[in-house]
Amino acid sequence: MSNNASTMAAPSGLVNTVFLAGIAGAVISVVLVLASLMGEGHASFNTTSDGVVWGLPISNYLFFVIMSTGLTFVAAFGMVFGIKEFYPVAKRCVWLALATLLAGFASLAFELGHPFRMLWALPTSFQIYSPMNWMGVLYGAELVFIVWKMQKLNAGDWDSGVSKKLGMASFVAAILAVAMLGSVFGMMAMRPYWFGGMIPMYFLLSALLCGVALTVLISYIAYGFERNSMPPAMQDLFKGTTSTLYASIPVVFGTVIGITLVALTLRTATGLWSHQDGFQAFNWMVASPWFTIEAIALLAAFVMMMNPGMRAGQGAQIGAAVLVLVAMFIDRYLFVIGGQVVPVFKGAWVSGFVDYTPSLTEWMLVVMSISLCLAIYAFGEKKLRLTDAPSS
Amino acid sequence: MAKWGMVIDLDKCTGCTACTTACGMENNRLPGENWQDVLFYQEGEFPSGTMKWFPRPCMHCENASCVEVCPTRATYKDPEGGLVLIDWNKCIGCKYCMIACPYGVRFYTDEKAPIQPDVKQVFKGDGKRSWNPPWRAPENRDDWKHGVGVQPNGVVSKCTFCYHRITKAPKGTPDLDPNNPALREFTPACVVTCAPTARFFGDLDNPNSEVSKMIANQRGVRLRDHTGNKPQVYYLTGGAGGAIPTDRRDKKS
Ligand code: SF4
Ligand code: SF4
Repeated sequence: MSNNASTMAAPSGLVNTVFLAGIAGAVISVVLVLASLMGEGHASFNTTSDGVVWGLPISNYLFFVIMSTGLTFVAAFGMVFGIKEFYPVAKRCVWLALATLLAGFASLAFELGHPFRMLWALPTSFQIYSPMNWMGVLYGAELVFIVWKMQKLNAGDWDSGVSKKLGMASFVAAILAVAMLGSVFGMMAMRPYWFGGMIPMYFLLSALLCGVALTVLISYIAYGFERNSMPPAMQDLFKGTTSTLYASIPVVFGTVIGITLVALTLRTATGLWSHQDGFQAFNWMVASPWFTIEAIALLAAFVMMMNPGMRAGQGAQIGAAVLVLVAMFIDRYLFVIGGQVVPVFKGAWVSGFVDYTPSLTEWMLVVMSISLCLAIYAFGEKKLRLTDAPSS
Repeated sequence: MAKWGMVIDLDKCTGCTACTTACGMENNRLPGENWQDVLFYQEGEFPSGTMKWFPRPCMHCENASCVEVCPTRATYKDPEGGLVLIDWNKCIGCKYCMIACPYGVRFYTDEKAPIQPDVKQVFKGDGKRSWNPPWRAPENRDDWKHGVGVQPNGVVSKCTFCYHRITKAPKGTPDLDPNNPALREFTPACVVTCAPTARFFGDLDNPNSEVSKMIANQRGVRLRDHTGNKPQVYYLTGGAGGAIPTDRRDKKS
């Protein structure tokens, strides 16, 4: 197998625009966030000890780091499992996994009371019972493996022993990290809305969904929304004209949306059906207008990917990717907030839910993460030949 | 070694919130962020609705979920007296403990003031403390390792069972009774102040302590016992007679 098959295309003008917009968005949002944090501290958030303590910045963190795992999955299709049809998106996915991971970490860093103290207090204390501790270890490992793997890929090393092992290690670390993140919530028996050993599985499933969606969206952006300028193998992957039926974007995307819809529906139905104290949060969830938007967006994306006349189309794929990303952003929000809307203590008697609307500063952290992610991605697109793939 | 615990007799509690005030003064709590809160709630609807109240300190749980989730071990179970305490030097403000506590007893001060005007703005902190209350205890009583003093920014706080008082009591004391002048100074502030004497504090591991006897003879119950946290705060609800089993693994006798 020779390296660096020359599939290099000049980045489209759109990538330059994305880069500049990302930088501008990141600078503006970070300045605004720093200004309010230095002025008011975390009082600029709308989180309160009596109600929602983990707000939008945490659900934003979840959205990005879970997506990072999903991107590692998509990269692994080619690099770990040898499904060659996915080679054309592999390197881009590895880079995107890094971009999303950093975007998520940034949101968390601004949310913590003492982010710098964390750097020494976490490793020196090492509370083995804390899922959050393990989450830190595993995400740290994922970060190291991805950076290292990216460095190998960039040097044109796709299939040396070390490079393959790094691909495998990133894949395993990503699975364990997102599973542990699921356990941060899933182990909380005192909050039934979150509780359950299957929550990590749901995180893994939705990670793949988000990973595929971002792969689709960014791949089109990389080629200026012009599928015809993609390399032929990549066009096949997106059109579903590869020699292996399952190894195509529309099939994988449609399937994962479908399974996610089933999982979400059953989780919601179970929650609404049960009278267990704490499950009132499911009533809160379905009453939220965001839930309606999420459901419609996922259903629409599913219909688009199931419809034989639509699923191979560029417009439908971009549309479905955007719908899925919006829906999953909402999903993370409803998940994180939902576990806290039933007041832990008072909830045993009072049917009221906790009120929470994110503040401007909290929204700025979302803007920051999106901008950072786009800027880092576009930087890679310009400088790191993300289109590279092994030639065979 | 003692296992300190509290008994609150709900039949005697009048909901006067003197405990809340005493705790606020003793521990420099911000208005509305009460370590020792009394919750008020309604049951039923007009015309038969009633207002009820419920005093709620930190339960200093035996199986404290807040201890287990804390990634930095800032929240820990103190081996000396069985207290659950927070080391403010180590807390990173991740708030996982606030998520994991089934009783909602923990506070992160770095947030919008629940009660206006914001006294933090009136008595501004000096960088070390999150605010500078005019009535605060002497500097040398600050003890961040045990979460005692004016809460700094970016960390979580909660009731310490008045760690700074009870640790000065003579070793082996079965009960810290505020009516005993020799022990009054070492008794938690809320227990000292409770006018109808609804609060009792003592060693749960000592079968001869008043609190142990009260729990045994008056069927002390623990809040949300199904969580398995095993609070060291017991409530007396007046009832004699049969009791609902709280843990199916308990031995049959
Ligand atoms: S009541 Fe909450 S904060 Fe107190 S020990 Fe129990 S779990 Fe921890
Ligand atoms: S907020 Fe502090 S005490 Fe609570 S879990 Fe995090 S580090 Fe531990």
